Amino acid sequence: MDANGLQGEWLVGVDVGGTFTDFSARNLVTGQVRIHKRPSTPDDPGRAVIDGLAELVEKHAIDPASITRFAHGTTVATNALLQRRGARVAVVTTRGFRDLLEIGRQIRPHLYDLQLDNPAPLAPRELRFEIDERIGSRGEVVRPLTDESIAALIAELREHPEIEGIAVCLLFSYLNGAHEGKLAEALRAAFPDLLVSVSREVQPEFREYERFSTTLINAFLQPEVSRYIDRLRNNVGDAAPKAAFGIFQSSGGLMSAAKAADYPVRTALSGPAAGAVGAARSAALSKFDDIITLDIGGTSSDVCLIRNGRTSIARSRDISGFSIRLPMVDIHTIGAGGGSIATLANDGLMKVGPESAGAVPGPACYNLGGTLPTVSDANAVLNRLPQELVGGGFSLRRDLAVDALRPIANMLGIGLETAAMGIIEIVNSNIVRAIRTISVEKGYDPRKFVLMSFGGAGGLHAAEVARALGMKQVLVPEAPGILCADGLIAADLQEDFVTSCHLKLAAGVAELEAVVQELFVQGQAWLKTEAVDAQGERLMLFLDMRYVGQNYELPVEIEATVDAQGRVALPDVDALAQAFFETYERNFGHYDPAAPVEIVNARLRVLAHLSRNDRAQDKPVAETGKAKTVQVWFGEGYRNTKLIERVGLKPGDSFSGPAIVTQLDTTTIVPPDATMRIDEAGNMIMDLN
Amino acid sequence: MTDRTLDPIALEIAWNGLKSVADECFISIMRTAFSTNVKERHDHSTAIADATGRLVVQAEMALPIHLASMSGLLEGIVQKYGDTIRPGDLFLANDPHVAGGTHLPDINMAMPVFDGDRLLGFVANIIHHADVGGAAVGSMSGGLDEIYKEGLRIPIMRLYSAGTLNTELMELLLLNMRLPDERRGDLNAQISACRLGVFRLGEMIANLGSDVLAQIFDEIVSRTEMRMRAAIAKLPDGEYRFEDLMDDDGCGTLDIKIALKITKSGESICFDFDGTDPQVPGNFNMTWSATQAAVCFGLKALLDPEVANNQGIFDAIEIKAPAGSFVNCVFPAAVAMRANSCQRVVDCVFGALAEAVPDKVVAATNGANTSAVFAGIDPRTGQAYVYLETLGGGMGARATHDGKDAVQVNITNTSNLPVEAIELEYPLRVEEYALVIDSSGAGKYRGGLGMRRVIRPVGHVCEFNGVGERFRHRPWGLFGGCDGAAGRFYVRGDDGTETQLAPKASQVRLAPDAAAVMETPGAGGYGDPVERSREAFEADRASGKFSERWLKENYPQFAAPARVAG
Repeated sequence: MDANGLQGEWLVGVDVGGTFTDFSARNLVTGQVRIHKRPSTPDDPGRAVIDGLAELVEKHAIDPASITRFAHGTTVATNALLQRRGARVAVVTTRGFRDLLEIGRQIRPHLYDLQLDNPAPLAPRELRFEIDERIGSRGEVVRPLTDESIAALIAELREHPEIEGIAVCLLFSYLNGAHEGKLAEALRAAFPDLLVSVSREVQPEFREYERFSTTLINAFLQPEVSRYIDRLRNNVGDAAPKAAFGIFQSSGGLMSAAKAADYPVRTALSGPAAGAVGAARSAALSKFDDIITLDIGGTSSDVCLIRNGRTSIARSRDISGFSIRLPMVDIHTIGAGGGSIATLANDGLMKVGPESAGAVPGPACYNLGGTLPTVSDANAVLNRLPQELVGGGFSLRRDLAVDALRPIANMLGIGLETAAMGIIEIVNSNIVRAIRTISVEKGYDPRKFVLMSFGGAGGLHAAEVARALGMKQVLVPEAPGILCADGLIAADLQEDFVTSCHLKLAAGVAELEAVVQELFVQGQAWLKTEAVDAQGERLMLFLDMRYVGQNYELPVEIEATVDAQGRVALPDVDALAQAFFETYERNFGHYDPAAPVEIVNARLRVLAHLSRNDRAQDKPVAETGKAKTVQVWFGEGYRNTKLIERVGLKPGDSFSGPAIVTQLDTTTIVPPDATMRIDEAGNMIMDLN
Repeated sequence: MTDRTLDPIALEIAWNGLKSVADECFISIMRTAFSTNVKERHDHSTAIADATGRLVVQAEMALPIHLASMSGLLEGIVQKYGDTIRPGDLFLANDPHVAGGTHLPDINMAMPVFDGDRLLGFVANIIHHADVGGAAVGSMSGGLDEIYKEGLRIPIMRLYSAGTLNTELMELLLLNMRLPDERRGDLNAQISACRLGVFRLGEMIANLGSDVLAQIFDEIVSRTEMRMRAAIAKLPDGEYRFEDLMDDDGCGTLDIKIALKITKSGESICFDFDGTDPQVPGNFNMTWSATQAAVCFGLKALLDPEVANNQGIFDAIEIKAPAGSFVNCVFPAAVAMRANSCQRVVDCVFGALAEAVPDKVVAATNGANTSAVFAGIDPRTGQAYVYLETLGGGMGARATHDGKDAVQVNITNTSNLPVEAIELEYPLRVEEYALVIDSSGAGKYRGGLGMRRVIRPVGHVCEFNGVGERFRHRPWGLFGGCDGAAGRFYVRGDDGTETQLAPKASQVRLAPDAAAVMETPGAGGYGDPVERSREAFEADRASGKFSERWLKENYPQFAAPARVAG
């Protein structure tokens, strides 16, 4: 280590994206942050991680032995699912229900499109097997599971040597796991080389199709993801021998490598979830708790609502047509991004997206062969994208963007700039609709939130999108490009526990307390085995409650008390009912105090806080060249616009628009009547008038 | 900005804004309604109309049959109330015969939008209410042969006059409906969604001005018509005919004929149902609005699935349906089960246009909205229960791929209730949920398979009622593709007996030593089975979806199949 070498423990976050693999390292003692970025290696994502880690420690003279935590966001599972690249899985299910996974919810993906189908099940029918057994709706055994039928099943399975994994999916296993457990044990003994996913272990929650589907996806992903994690853990172990290894899960926290290998389905939204957690943390440094994130990439945009510093959580979602029921950060995605193509539809109106020029051929202005007009080309025509990207090595061709836009402008009989503004306004209106969906339509007023932009193109559109929604402020984080990697460092270890219970509230809390007690026991056990290094812990109890007769539940957060002996006590029935009514009213605008209420699931989220250092570092302000001015179109005409490099800005600086702020990973437009300032946390805050 | 207010860019943005308003109203109903039918199945719709009552924008999740019904209501409001419409009025109606409806449970509401004295348009919505009175719980039972038996008939009336609630009317409505508290909750959800929409349109008027907004409405409708006509123009000119038979009406009328002649010339298309059978006593009749919804669904799905759903589509299409016929019934026809008939009209549209757009049509689907009701007293609680389910079936084969197995088709797309949810809530056990082996129509591309559901009452005797179609008239194949299998209901006793039930099975006693078996129809194949690829054949064989005998009969060319090693 040279004289400039940094002492103290380091935390490293690595996020693998489609294009770049991002690294963020934070020193626990000094709070210093070091970042690194390198191209991803999609054929073997682990290579970029390991190579990049070596480059990071080399570049910043970090002693590898001082790295104490390595947190990883991965897209291996997501990509395997999108490309249907996974194991040949056998499904074993209750007699009579072999086709349940294929029938699903019996609905079509599109009401009017006659050619579009849901994807075929991940396990073909010939690999879905039935077994004699049945558990009833009170958890009682209706039909026993016999050793003979298990033996017969094993014999059947042996006729299919192509099987690479097994999913065990029995009805009502969330109430009584005896049959699934017995079956899984026998299968694991008979097929020691195969990984077995069990629905009760993956997600012990009621509604069989979603539980089975989640379990099948888990089995489908397991060989590839566990191989990847094993290899990576070994390689990271060689490179940074003292680093604890954590994988980010879609629910917004870290889990151990062993958990990730057992439950790869939990990483299906690993990357985007890390971005949302990073955004929440970055905003918290600027004292903003209520934000809406806007991440505009090349082909799509993600929006997410964060309230009181916590990301919204969805209980289930579809990923490329496959249903997953697990807690996941609630990220809403639409097909609008920098590469979205503008077309004239046959009603004569201009549409933007969802077709995208993608990375290849890309927008015309990238000079990679694209000729169709995209959102990026519209920004280039208006001079909103700087000709030279920071860091150099890549210059935009505005002339090619002009060529791409001219035909559509001519067809509409309007000027080039008007057409470009039109493309931007339309894509903005699509984004506005997406944000209304996650805010207004869920009972939240976007005007009370701050818009936080990131992703390559977020800052280009943020001011206009915010204004259209009546939002007053835009926050551009200090390093938007590594928000995901930052989120990884900031994350807690996290585990979710659930028990489906179906208890009537009026029956009292005794039985419910027993259920919750068991959850707390599981939670404490997890803390002891998985979270030995934790600096603190938090247990959050949620009850999924509904009126009797309804078929949807609302998660209601409940404060449980735990005495010195570890005994859990719940609030009384009236208090629980009141908590439900309040949640119901917030969601639906009314509640019925007289109708009977029931509890469907009890959920416990256990957070183990890991050591971190949020102290803002003192950062040297870079010398920047003489401020340049460019001519940028703002609706009425071209305006003299300052071109400002972010690296030259320091806390306390402020300036007014029109201006363009450029930095390594994003470009931010400050419109003529907005002002920008840098706050103490190093974030840029734009005030819209 | 005014100079380019109506250019194709500003219009697209304004249209996006209007869609957001319709969607927000839709979500608002979902959030504030009381009934499961709305909250879970989303059996509701919202829309915005112009001052003449023309539908302009609908919510993304709006249902086709609701749109036709709203259109009928709005036309009626303008005709009946014209100059007397005032700000704060709120209209409601449900009647199929005098108020444009399609069946009584669908209660329509509409509220006018004003800028000062100027009427600019309406915000409208519709909910399928779980009960509107009448002879049977749920107002949806088969076997009813007169509109009066199906529930309370509401002509177009003001529920609010200039902001004041007509409390007497509200009392009358609730008195005639079962579960009045739930009804009140759902009606209130509709009222507040109307108010929300009017408020949001007020914001748009403040931004754009009422002249511009009115122009936007015109442009959206005329551009939709233009887009639809452009799609129609691509069809080859000519006359296309098709006929299909419905099984029966549950009241003794068999083989109900639907005859369709489509005449296409240039940008015009006419759907003529001359030759269709007269209306029937049973409640499968279609009102004009229902037929319009089915025809528009079929044409839009074939020609331009993404085109907006509004008056522009209705304007692009001419429909002739003889008054008093099955597809344009008159008072006092009963109509509750019209969804089954709508499914069949869509099949007829596909059948007729098969020659014209062979690359886009679908062979006959399961052609039904198969439903089953289990009712009884829950022995665990002593409480009465009613469990309704609607079942998917085969979807027809297409020009380039097989039909989908076991799915909701055509105008229906409602999800099932999970097995674990059914058994928790009702004293019933689901014993099987499966594809029906061999139920597909063979072909170059095969039709989808039907589904089988087997349900047994636990510890009590219950009553089973079922409504099925294509139980006798099988779903047809196209271009040499074979017909799919018919559906059936039967009772399977533990003693090994099988008792066939009628397609409209009514009040069947089901004891715990027996189970009701519901098998929905499959769907037709597309193209000669001789042309099926060996690869597809082997996949069919490996899947176990077909018996060896069925495979041999339908694909004799593969009689000596190559055994796959391993």
